Amino acid sequence: MSSEPTGTNIEGERPDAEAVVETDEATITDDAELERTLGLSGGLAIGIGTMIGAGIFVFPGLAGAEVGTAAAASFGVGGVIAILVALPTSELATAMPKSGGGYYFISRGLGTLAGTIIGLSLWIGLVFATAFYLVGLGFYALDGLALVGITVGPSPGLIVSVIAVIAGIGFTVLNVTGTENAAKLQNGIVALLLSMLLAFLAFGMADAFGIVDAGTPPGEARNVWAVGPIMSVAALVFTSYLGFAQVATVAGEMKSPGRNLPLAMLGSVVIVTVMYVVTIFVATSVFTQDALAAAGETAMVEIGRALLGTPGALVIIIGGLLATMSSANASILSTSRAIYGVSKDALLPGWASRINLKYGTPHVALGMAGGPVIVLAATRQVQLLAEVASFLHLIMYGLMCVALIAIRRDKPEWYDPDFVVPGGPAIPLVGAAASFGLIAFMDPLSIGVGLGVIVATAGWYFYYASDIRLKGAL
Amino acid sequence: MTRVLVPVEVLEGQTVASGLLSLLGTVDVTVLGYHVLPEQTPPDQARQQFEDRATAALDDLSEEFRSAGGAADHRLVFTHDREQTVHRVADETDADAFAISGMTGDVDRILVSLSGDVARDRIVEFVIELIGDRDIDVTLLLASDTETTADERLATAATRLREVGIDTETTAVVGSPFESLLSTAENHDVIVIGEAAPSLRSLVFGDEAERVAAASVGPVLVVRRETEAETTDSANE
Repeated sequence: MSSEPTGTNIEGERPDAEAVVETDEATITDDAELERTLGLSGGLAIGIGTMIGAGIFVFPGLAGAEVGTAAAASFGVGGVIAILVALPTSELATAMPKSGGGYYFISRGLGTLAGTIIGLSLWIGLVFATAFYLVGLGFYALDGLALVGITVGPSPGLIVSVIAVIAGIGFTVLNVTGTENAAKLQNGIVALLLSMLLAFLAFGMADAFGIVDAGTPPGEARNVWAVGPIMSVAALVFTSYLGFAQVATVAGEMKSPGRNLPLAMLGSVVIVTVMYVVTIFVATSVFTQDALAAAGETAMVEIGRALLGTPGALVIIIGGLLATMSSANASILSTSRAIYGVSKDALLPGWASRINLKYGTPHVALGMAGGPVIVLAATRQVQLLAEVASFLHLIMYGLMCVALIAIRRDKPEWYDPDFVVPGGPAIPLVGAAASFGLIAFMDPLSIGVGLGVIVATAGWYFYYASDIRLKGAL
Repeated sequence: MTRVLVPVEVLEGQTVASGLLSLLGTVDVTVLGYHVLPEQTPPDQARQQFEDRATAALDDLSEEFRSAGGAADHRLVFTHDREQTVHRVADETDADAFAISGMTGDVDRILVSLSGDVARDRIVEFVIELIGDRDIDVTLLLASDTETTADERLATAATRLREVGIDTETTAVVGSPFESLLSTAENHDVIVIGEAAPSLRSLVFGDEAERVAAASVGPVLVVRRETEAETTDSANE
């Protein structure tokens, strides 16, 4: 790139800027090459693996309890917004296939202040999302214990917290010390999940339309087809759509990024949107609103039980455990890349991205991801964790759309995307408006916490890194 | 000029045996310094931290190859996938063979396997270039299910080697190529094998060639097949 970052942070560290040549197979720097090793299926597995845990296994009960079958529309709205953002993100990612994803695009398009806020917010947003997945994991583990006949005593909530915290510690330690390549495992888990879900949903649809009768109570849900409640549920469940941006955080490792990044991002959003809408339709056909509300986070287990008896419940519990684990693990990986992206530009101290030679893993960044995750997971505030994660991501999504418009206007000479969003500024404009607009439908407490994070990260910028210039010269 | 790619896990302190250094003195060498990272670690992050150390080690190693006689350069790659990296760099440098490091002293005798679906002519020509005018003997090994064509193919290759003055023995075996290679490998300092067809590449690279290297302790040179680009080029000519 022609416009190198300049300036130093408060400790005198400079952004690590090296001229690179990107090819389909590697990134070539002056003295070294960085192999691109992730294919399209790996990218899709990250996207789908991150997203599906929440949308299918945690939210149907919560969303159905609010608005009944209309929750399918909420998931539809979430999917449309995600696609509106995934398109501009794809263009930016093919022009800047680097580690760090959204942070990188915004810092280069809108400058250091916006970059710092988003880079640090992405870290914290992913921490909230990971904690949310772990709490979901805890609820599924609790149901699993109940299914095998282990009674959990008077305070099941405490058990959920304990399981979530143990899982959080476990994933962090595994990521620091585990040198086995888990990518193939992740691909396998996602493939297994998708096939389990397809079979399950096909049966559920057949039941919903009366083709087969599993003896479920007739679906007399009170469906709230009104814009306000639908949007407010959409804001809640938007956490189910955060995964596509995680694909962008590994953009630097994707083979043929010009082709695979857009396909992986858009493909994973389209696939999960369809799965979500069908799932919520099945869920609200099988159960009425109050039944869903009573079943809460693991309503899907009760739906499995209603459709297929105990084996059905077992399938959903195993699926839920796998899905929330894969979401949590993929998010911890993305978090450490987000921290690396920021630290490379000297917006965080350089030691944050140290690697230990023994395991070859970024133990500091993984600790900065895992530590706060464990604290937040202990709170088991599903709704708050989900909405704050969504809030911070939505700010990033909106600003990515704005960054695309800004970069297109400035036309820096390095900007040469392989994938161009059609229709001029229309899609990024609508995407930005939709992203910011959805925030208005969130719970005030979530908005408050999210704003607090933004203010804190902005404060960090003024304290630590206000001399650094990252934006391309205009 | 014949070029051999020598992959070295540079940050793990892997070195090249003195016998292999001097054996490769007749050919050009590209030292491929690589570092395999777990998926938690972006390759760029490792580059930032380890590049200088790795480059210094590679400079030393290239210098050792140059003092052994041939031209030598080096590449440094941070990767999640060693096999993909070796094949990419081998393609880009147009290398005729790549080495799997092993321990050996001075090389007096090379075992050359012609078993299986390999490019026999390329292997023979590579061995001729490699040995040059040095006093290194060759054992040609061909294992197959039927003996009928084996002898003929062995004889053709042996004639070619003897033509240029290389002392050559032949061994035809009925049985598994891998097992017979290992049982013959004793008393040889280096093994030369061919890369199998692309469909079997991972099997051979990840498994068989590694197993040969591990079982024989000594270095293994894997002669590559014609690359796709070369095949297209010659078709166009």
